[in-house]
Amino acid sequence: MSVVVGILARALTMSTPLLYGSLSEVVAERSGMMVTAIEGIFLIGAWGGFVGTYLWGSALYGILLAMGLGVVVAAVYAFVTVTMRQHQVVTGTALNILVAGLCTYFQRVLFGIPTSPLKIERLPQLAIPLLSDIPILGEVFFNQNILTYIMYAIIPLIYFVLFRTSTGLAIRSTGENPVASDVAGISVNFVRYMTVLFSGLMGGVAGAFYSIGFLGMFTAGIIGGRGWIAFAICFLGNWHPFGAVVGTLVFGLAESISIYMQSLGGAGFLPNEFFIALPYILTIVLTVSRRNFKVPAKLGVPYVKEGG
Amino acid sequence: MGKRIGASTRDLIITNFVAIVAGLVLSGLLLLLLDINPIQVFSSALTTLFTDRYMAAEVFLKATPFIFTALAFAFTYKANLFNIGAQGQFYLGAVAAVSVSLLLDGKIPTPILLVVVLASTLVAGGLMGAGIGFLKARYNANEFLTSMMSTYVALAFMNYLLRTVLKETKGEYPQTDALSEAAWIPRIVPGTRLHLGFVIAVVTAILIWVFLYKTPMGFRIRAIGSNARAVELAGINSRKIFVIAFLISGALAGAAGFTEVNGVQRMLIQDFNPDIGSAGIGIAILANANPIGIIFASILFGAISVIGTMMGRMPGINVPPSIVSIIQGSVMLFVITAYYVRAIIGIRRDKKRLKREEA
Repeated sequence: MSVVVGILARALTMSTPLLYGSLSEVVAERSGMMVTAIEGIFLIGAWGGFVGTYLWGSALYGILLAMGLGVVVAAVYAFVTVTMRQHQVVTGTALNILVAGLCTYFQRVLFGIPTSPLKIERLPQLAIPLLSDIPILGEVFFNQNILTYIMYAIIPLIYFVLFRTSTGLAIRSTGENPVASDVAGISVNFVRYMTVLFSGLMGGVAGAFYSIGFLGMFTAGIIGGRGWIAFAICFLGNWHPFGAVVGTLVFGLAESISIYMQSLGGAGFLPNEFFIALPYILTIVLTVSRRNFKVPAKLGVPYVKEGG
Repeated sequence: MGKRIGASTRDLIITNFVAIVAGLVLSGLLLLLLDINPIQVFSSALTTLFTDRYMAAEVFLKATPFIFTALAFAFTYKANLFNIGAQGQFYLGAVAAVSVSLLLDGKIPTPILLVVVLASTLVAGGLMGAGIGFLKARYNANEFLTSMMSTYVALAFMNYLLRTVLKETKGEYPQTDALSEAAWIPRIVPGTRLHLGFVIAVVTAILIWVFLYKTPMGFRIRAIGSNARAVELAGINSRKIFVIAFLISGALAGAAGFTEVNGVQRMLIQDFNPDIGSAGIGIAILANANPIGIIFASILFGAISVIGTMMGRMPGINVPPSIVSIIQGSVMLFVITAYYVRAIIGIRRDKKRLKREEA
C-alpha cells in the first residue's frame, strides 16, 4: 500500500513542472504562438534555479532568477517569431541549441571544473496540518513542496482568465482570427508577446523545479526532453487547461512508475530502458490515438497587418 | 529579371556571411569572460586549419554525417513536413551498421560487406522514418511530436542493446567490440581520417537535388509543401507522399550511422554523436533546404566543430567544448535574422524600382 501511495505522491510531484509548462503553452498557443523554445526555457530555468539557490542561499532567489532567464529567452523568441515573423519551429531549434551551450558554458565560467558535483538543498516537503493526515489523499496531495501547492491555485486561475475575462477573449481571438482582433483594436503582436513572455516565466519555474525541487543539482541533461513532453501535452489536452491537467497527471504517473521500476532495476522481461522510454512511447501512442483536435486556426502563422 | 536574381543571390551571400561573422564575434566575446583572448585562439585555430592537412581533413570528416542529417530534415521540409527525429534514425542506422558489420566481417569481401552495411542502415533509418510517415498518413498523427519522441525511444533501445546483446565480449563497458579492418570504410587522403563516406555524402546530396528538382516524384513532394490543397485537387495522393518522403528522409539519417560507425568510431559506444540531429536542422536552415547548399553549410558546421575541438586542446588555454553549441546556435539565430533582413532589402528595392518606373 505504501508503495502505491509513494508512486502516486511522486506522480503528482513529477507532473508539477509539466503542468507549469503545458498550461503556459496552452495560453501561448491559444494566441497563435507555439513556444518551440520550451525545451531551452526549461533548461535555462533549471540552471537559473540552481545558480540562484547556490550563490544566494535561498530557493526564492533561484526561482526568481529562473523566471528572469526564462523571460529573456522567451523575449528573444518572440522578437524573432513575432516582430521578424520567422518560422517558429526553426527559431525554437536554434534557441534550444544556443541555450544548451550557454548553460554549460556559464556553469563553467561561474564554477570552473569542480571535483565533485555541486549540490543545493532541495525544496522541503511541506506537510499541511490536518489535511496531510487524511489517509492516502493527505500523503498524495498535501505533503508536497511549495511549487505544487502554487500549481493548485494556478489551474483554476488560468482557466478563469482564459475563458471568463476580456483578456482571455483577446488571447483566444488572436489565435483564431487575428484580423478580427486587430479591427477590434487589439494589438495582435502585443498579445502574442505577452503570452510568449508568460510562457518564459512559467517555463522558467518549471525548469527550476527539476534542479531545486527534484535533483538538487544541475546537469546538462537535466531536462532531457521534458520541455517537449509539456509541449506535447498541450496538443494532447486539446489546447484546454483541464485537458493539460489530465495530460500532465498521466505523464507524471508514467514518470513516477518509470522511476520506481528503475529503482528495482526493471521488472521481469521488461528492461530498465523500457521504463526510461515509457513517457515518450506514451506520447506517441496518445498522439496517434487522439482524435478531433481543435487546433487554434492561426497557430504558428505570423500576423501581417494589411497594407502594413 | 536576370538582374534581380543576381541581386538577391548577392544579398543571400552577403547577409549570410555577416550572420556567420556575427555568430563568431558573439561567441568570441563570451571567451573574454574566461580571460581568453578570442582573436588569438581563433586566428591560431584558423591557421592550423589551413596549414595542417590532418586538421583540414577533419573538417570534411565532421561534415559527412551533417550532410546526411541535414538532407534528412530538408527532404521532408520541402513537403512542409517536419522530421525532427533524424537523431533517432541515425541511432538505429548506427545499431544496424555495427550489428551487420560484426555479424559478417571476415565472411565476405570488404566492398560487398560495406554495400550490405550501408543498405542495412538505409533500411533501419528508412523504416523508422516510414513509420512516422505512416502514422501521419493513416492517423493524422502530428509528425513533429511523433518524430521528436521517437528519438528518445530509439536512444533507450540502443542503450538497451549496448547493455545486453551488443555488449563487448570483455563485458566491462556498455559498448560493442571493435570492428575488424575488413569493415572499415577506406580512407581517401593518406595521413588523415577522411574516408570515402564524405564522397558518398556529396554524391547523395547531388542525387537528392536531382530527385527533388528534376523528377515527377520530387515535383509532387515540393508541390505538397507549397500548396497541399491544390495538390489534392490535382489528384495526387498526399498520404502516399507522406510515407515516401519520410522513408527517404529516415534512410538519409540512417546512412549517417554507416559513415560514423564504419568510417570513424569503428565500434558503437554510449553517448555516440548526440548532437548531429539538431545540427542537421540548423544546417538545412542555413542552406535554405537546398541540397547543394547543404554540402557547403555542412562543411562550415564541420569547421566550427573542429575549431571548437582545437581550441579546447590548446595548451594553457581551456576553452570549454560547449563553445561549439554556442557558435552553432548563434550562427543559426543570425542566419534566421538574415532571412528577415533580406526580405526588407527586397521590398525596398522593389519600391525603388516601382518609383523609377513611375517617373
